[in-house]
Amino acid sequence: MGITYTSLDTTKLSTAEIYAKVLCDLAEDDERIVAITADLAKSTKIGAFHERFPERFYNVGIAEQNMFGIAAGMAKCGLIPFTATFAIFNSCRGLDQVHTDICYQNLNVKMLGTHAGTSFGQAGTTHHSTEDIAIMRSMANLTVIVPADGTETANVVKAAIEHEGPMYIRINRGFDQVVYDSMDYDFQIGKAVTLNEGSDLTIIACGSAVFSALQAAREIEAQSGIKARVLDMHTIKPIDADALRKAVHDTRRIITAEDHNVIGGLGGAVAEVIAESGMACAFKRLGLQDKFSPIGYHEDLMSHHGIDTNGIINAVEELLKMDFEEDEDWEDEV
Amino acid sequence: MQLTKEKLIELEEKANSLRHVIVDTVLNAGSGHLGGALSMIDAATLLYYHVMKIDRNDPNWADRDRFVMSKGHAGIGFVSILADIGYIAKEDLKTFNLTGSNLGIHLDANKVPGVDASTGSLGHGLSMALGMALAAKLKKQDYITYCMLGDGECNEGSIWEAAMAIAQYNATNVITLVDRNHAMIDGNTEDVMGLEPFADKWIAFGFHTETVNGHDFEAMNNAIAAALARKDKPSCIILDTVKGAGVEFAAGDYRWHYGAINDELAKTAHESLDRYHQKRLAEMKGA
Amino acid sequence: MNKANFYSTRLFLNAVIPVMKEINQEYGYFGNRNCKVQISVDTSEGRLGTHFVVEDGKMNTVLACTDDADVTFHFPNEEHFINFFKGKSTKLPKIKGLGKPGIVVATFRTLLKMSALLGAKEPPKEEAVKALVVKLFFYLLSTGISQLNKLGHEDVVNWTKTSPNRVYGWSVDGYEEAGAYLRVKAGKTKAARGMYTRSQPFFTMRFADLDSALAILLSTGDLLQLTAEKKLIMEGAPEYGAQIGDYMMLVGSYVQ
Repeated sequence: MGITYTSLDTTKLSTAEIYAKVLCDLAEDDERIVAITADLAKSTKIGAFHERFPERFYNVGIAEQNMFGIAAGMAKCGLIPFTATFAIFNSCRGLDQVHTDICYQNLNVKMLGTHAGTSFGQAGTTHHSTEDIAIMRSMANLTVIVPADGTETANVVKAAIEHEGPMYIRINRGFDQVVYDSMDYDFQIGKAVTLNEGSDLTIIACGSAVFSALQAAREIEAQSGIKARVLDMHTIKPIDADALRKAVHDTRRIITAEDHNVIGGLGGAVAEVIAESGMACAFKRLGLQDKFSPIGYHEDLMSHHGIDTNGIINAVEELLKMDFEEDEDWEDEV
Repeated sequence: MQLTKEKLIELEEKANSLRHVIVDTVLNAGSGHLGGALSMIDAATLLYYHVMKIDRNDPNWADRDRFVMSKGHAGIGFVSILADIGYIAKEDLKTFNLTGSNLGIHLDANKVPGVDASTGSLGHGLSMALGMALAAKLKKQDYITYCMLGDGECNEGSIWEAAMAIAQYNATNVITLVDRNHAMIDGNTEDVMGLEPFADKWIAFGFHTETVNGHDFEAMNNAIAAALARKDKPSCIILDTVKGAGVEFAAGDYRWHYGAINDELAKTAHESLDRYHQKRLAEMKGA
Repeated sequence: MNKANFYSTRLFLNAVIPVMKEINQEYGYFGNRNCKVQISVDTSEGRLGTHFVVEDGKMNTVLACTDDADVTFHFPNEEHFINFFKGKSTKLPKIKGLGKPGIVVATFRTLLKMSALLGAKEPPKEEAVKALVVKLFFYLLSTGISQLNKLGHEDVVNWTKTSPNRVYGWSVDGYEEAGAYLRVKAGKTKAARGMYTRSQPFFTMRFADLDSALAILLSTGDLLQLTAEKKLIMEGAPEYGAQIGDYMMLVGSYVQ
């Protein structure tokens, strides 16, 4: 498919705008694609689809449960509905429909949750979404993806069409820091991307925390020669357990970072794999420490919650002091 | 579409056989949603044996009329039709609720042929029905989607979200039916959470609304025919029914929303249904 | 106090002499004996020594002096001790325990074999011996670096004190028992024998075969050439290869 977006595009278009553009491009050749929103055409940028395909666009008004039910009915009749609302409303307000109509019936509905995490900082907790990863990954049949930036989002939309089954895609409000220069890095659902190599520790991140993690890795290498592996774990479910187990084995120290509660999200998913692997490692989850967020600009909130570059650097330093070897025996073997 | 006298009697014969099957299924399963199944079986019989365009050999025929039984707990009634048509095997009814069976209280669309939507969580069906109807419009198909709601179910706000949207889109290819049996789990609807003036609510939401006797095939048929012809606004048909209709010990009693029957009660139920059937036949033939 | 002698003495005692255990394991000079043998030296800091507790012919090393050794090879001063082990002097130590000639002979033979293997100008011919020599070197070099840290050698301490928890390994493909590794963390070090399997070492000096390893260890080969031929692979953090090589040479400078 002739869709290519580069980081140049992502400086001119917000992540949601890229999402809508890619969707429109794909819909040119695929009549099954329709878009639905709950009075958030403008905010989620899916309104671009309305302009291009007015007869395939549906705005149900402020009625999220209805939106997901309609999407389910449409998917049952062979259409591929892309819904768009804020992540909080996708995962909380509409959850019974998401769970029962879409996931239980295993329907080909792609749900876009925007304004994820604390990216809509000024709006306060009513519009923050810091539980959605935990909620959505526990829905059977549902694929959960949290792209790191606009370019990765373009890849996700393409992959969404090729994937049969329900999907939840979680993006921020506005512009994301650029992680990927182009779409050509072999994006695959369920395969983490290694953004930096290293064997002192691994930082696993998703969404806006990926950029922070990469910056942090570069800085600590420059400052103290510490080599941190950085994994963009864009697919929370199915999680790349192989990459995780390798990171645990190779580096024995894991930090997770996400714009989400430390309970149940990426950190929880990673902890599950680590615990079942039977390998010991030092482990720290960064994110909201089971507290609702105060109001603020997103950058400031990321700093407040310790998931910005400095927050991750501090966590790295803490983690490296922790010892996980069983023996404290420093006698040379003779 | 008009119902001849022969057809009327045919429908009653069919409905009667289905009512008996329902009692047997509840007996085999140990317990079941007897009341709500018996209240809606007449409407469902009319739909499946007279109104709806279906293919008895292919439950997934792309152009079929859809039926979303939003009041999913009436599955124990609906399966009698599926077995009679042949979408499922009649013997399967004996496995209802048993471990490993495809049939349970709330039918799974992915496991039971002929079920258009997995319902059970109340308040979802009308939205899904609208989705199916909108898909039909977009793809220029002319199938109709029938959606059967429970009346207690109309407490759910999501029903009204769907209603508002049906009116907004003027989705006249959705026909909304409400099994108004006046009872829910904890009591009669008006005692728990009153719906009246019920018809007025649907009218206010932009529906052409009629209330008909939900056990009168002719009345229901006329209302459906009129709804199918109506293109200026969507239609809602409120079926005034009796919960547990036909079984004397259950009729009109909200407590039979869900209950257990043993061989003795089953026998009593069958005898009651026989009398009910005879009475109805007599009315039909006499009229 | 001669700083060089200070390190040499202790490296011989704590890193080199302990490999007699491996030699005995291969050649069995101590048969089935049960005894204690010690090698000791008088220094300005007092008497230092390493002794072996032999049980049924198997040696266990203890980095300390003991009172009840059956046989002791004692050096009255550091020069004598160092020159003897560097192979520069054939003057024998004072031997206590001549009344147990069997043990004395076993000790001598082990020492002589060690000298022959470690001081070889050319690599041995047999595979088993090659593997043993590589093992001896890996053991004594890894222990040597760790000992230099513990003894406070400035170059080594500057590296270890700021290091996060890292493991440095030496290996030859196909010969796991010949491997050794060094664990470093915030000023502490531990040398260990065998391969580190708990996770991937931070850095491994990995040889494709015994001959390449011997070429470097016996200084008969060229490091750059072996790297180019991929006989020597600096795995993990290659920029540490030179540094580790330097520390290996540092140990070598005190014991050769």
